[in-house]
Amino acid sequence: MTIALETRSLTKQFGGLTAVNAVDLVIPENAIFSVIGPNGAGKTTFYNCITAFYEPDAGEVLFYGKSLVGLTPDQVTYRGISRTYQNIRLFANMSAIENILVGEHSRLRASWLEAIIRTPRVVKEEIDALEKARQLLNFVGLNSLGDQLARNLPYGAQRRLEIARALASQPRLLLLDEPTAGMNPHETTDMMHFIRRLRDELSITILLIEHDMRVVMGISEQIAVLDYGAKIAEGTPAEIQHNPRVIEAYLGSGAASGLNAAARQPA
Amino acid sequence: MKIQLRHAVNAGVIFGIITIFLFLIGFTGTAADLFSDLFRNKNAASFLGLNPQMLNMLIFLGLIGVWAGAYGSRKSKSQTDDPWGAALIGGLTAGLVDGLLVSCLALLVGTLNLRGVRINVYLSEVLPDAIKLFLVGKSPLQGATVYFVWLTLTGLLGGLLSRGLGRGSWRARSGAAWNNILGKISQQSIVKQVRGSRNTRYVVYGILLLLVFLLPLRAGPYWNYTIGSVGIYVLLGLGLNIVVGLAGLLDLGYVAFFAIGAYTMALLTAPQPHHLMWSFWIALPIGVLLAALTGLLLGAPVLRMRGDYLAIVTLGFGEIIRILSKSDALTPFTGGPSGVKAIGFPTLFGKPFNSGVDFVYLIFLAVLLIIFVTNRLQNSRVGRAWEAMREDETVSRAMGINTLTQKLLAFAIGAAFAGLGGALFASRNVFTGPEDHNLMVSINVVAVVIVGGMGNIPGVIAGALVLKGLPEVLRQLQDYRVLVFGALLVVMMLWRPAGLIPSSRRKMEVGKDTGVIETPEGGRGK
Repeated sequence: MTIALETRSLTKQFGGLTAVNAVDLVIPENAIFSVIGPNGAGKTTFYNCITAFYEPDAGEVLFYGKSLVGLTPDQVTYRGISRTYQNIRLFANMSAIENILVGEHSRLRASWLEAIIRTPRVVKEEIDALEKARQLLNFVGLNSLGDQLARNLPYGAQRRLEIARALASQPRLLLLDEPTAGMNPHETTDMMHFIRRLRDELSITILLIEHDMRVVMGISEQIAVLDYGAKIAEGTPAEIQHNPRVIEAYLGSGAASGLNAAARQPA
Repeated sequence: MKIQLRHAVNAGVIFGIITIFLFLIGFTGTAADLFSDLFRNKNAASFLGLNPQMLNMLIFLGLIGVWAGAYGSRKSKSQTDDPWGAALIGGLTAGLVDGLLVSCLALLVGTLNLRGVRINVYLSEVLPDAIKLFLVGKSPLQGATVYFVWLTLTGLLGGLLSRGLGRGSWRARSGAAWNNILGKISQQSIVKQVRGSRNTRYVVYGILLLLVFLLPLRAGPYWNYTIGSVGIYVLLGLGLNIVVGLAGLLDLGYVAFFAIGAYTMALLTAPQPHHLMWSFWIALPIGVLLAALTGLLLGAPVLRMRGDYLAIVTLGFGEIIRILSKSDALTPFTGGPSGVKAIGFPTLFGKPFNSGVDFVYLIFLAVLLIIFVTNRLQNSRVGRAWEAMREDETVSRAMGINTLTQKLLAFAIGAAFAGLGGALFASRNVFTGPEDHNLMVSINVVAVVIVGGMGNIPGVIAGALVLKGLPEVLRQLQDYRVLVFGALLVVMMLWRPAGLIPSSRRKMEVGKDTGVIETPEGGRGK
């Protein structure tokens, strides 16, 4: 088993608050791995540490065995990690296809001087980039919407465009931050299928933050639970569902003991 | 009926206040002069027994009255089934109220003047002459009556006109007919082909370019100077457009790079203070490179700041360069407050560029070069990265864009364009000094970019034409330039927040067609 991403006692503090507390995770290649936890548990901070937007105070992030600590966000993207955002953050005044082309930035080489002279290599690169952007647009099912401004797209289309933009940088690991937030049950099901397709067809490792338990339990192979920045549980969906510490984190200690009592004394 | 009347009265009050305001700032006299130039109607004036200036002022105020009437009646028309009557009543009411206000002013000012109160002690623009002109050379009561009758009549006329021209049925009918014709024409396959093809656009551009290139031959020295100034502002605008419009970095000290270009040209080619007297063609690239280098040097420390903070720092930098250039300590090096004289001009194959026409062509060439470069950059990986940074800097980093190098690049290229503009400016004017590089230049260039349309080449050109060309055309209004400037900016932001020619996006999904999608108006959401 190849390990795609590994964190070793990753810690991030903001003043006195420890947002991520000594988290150890091992994400195998080609997995769909979920990170869940109550609001404020440190999930998004964890993402920001991986993508180098925050520098961790302690610990290591290893991507295919190489440390990511000390890199800049664009270098991390170049290594093959891409992400989407909890609240959609597209380049609103650019067209859909331009958004994807921006995503391809780290895979293109044209410098400013080459862009002015427009060397044959740059011309070819641009044609290829545009072709690839069109394919991605098709892949996420947005064909014919490519020339719309991103902000004029419907909500679901914006979510998919954000994923297409992330895919444009040819990631090996894709971090999705609540991809089904604000979606109706039907759209959520579509998104679940779509995430599986990403893994199966493009063989991209998926790391998922999600609040919708139907999605988490439906598609994840492994789940880690964060609470107050620390990892309190890890396992398959079935294991997590019955873990008393997880239930306590979500529902409070009373609920957990009540459930335990109920389990001990079957009626 | 009540609502209509209220609207009409409101319109009258608004336009009355506008007229009073115009009188108080002395604009009525200027407008009269302006109209004199337009009409040369001396004969008509003497026929009516009026001084021509008075007649012209009355025409001007009459136009305001017509506008008031039209406005008042249009407001009321939308509320009623009987447009003719309502329009007339609306226009009449608006005119009456307008006339009443203005005649009160005439009465008041005239009476005060007769009693020997010198109003210009309080309001510097209201000279006794202006009052005499305002009262059409008659007594206060007569003057007031003239205004009352005149504005009421013109208000009525405005009401009539708005009824006749407004949403009248003939307009709808002719509009429909026109659309029909247009529709038929555009259905013709040839027209379709011509319209869609690239060649047509090139032909149109070619013709425009030819016209622009022929213009300096026909224009006199004064107009060539103006055209050159507009051209230099196009250069500056296109440079700042890269920094502000594309990369989204608000730079309020842009004049610094302009100054560096100008001073490099000046100090290298002038006999004083260094006696270098290099050739223009050597000094030009040095000026551009030095400006770009300064852009990099300034950018490296400050570009970590965002938005407002960056604006303040660059603002300070612009002032530092100007103050350094006039400081006593640097006088032996920069020529100090008196500036640098006798700056060299270009020669080509032994022929000196000393006529205004030659210089206009040189500036045209520079503008064309810059348009070409900007266009190439904008539609490349680099340009997309800049726009992505403008839209969302954090996300653009996550998309693999090294924002620091891209910002530096934008800053340096923008600075290089300003350096080019500055070098041409200094050489053309033969003189440059600290006051050529004050804060107003930065503000003007920012205004050119915003008024024209951010991130858009034709927009910047339009902005430079409007903000630098129009004031020259309206020389008469010189005293009000800043006033008009401010008013224009306010109106622009309200009516066309995205600029005169808002930027549009190339169509890319279907084939390599270069059609464009209009960016709908509205503030750029962040």
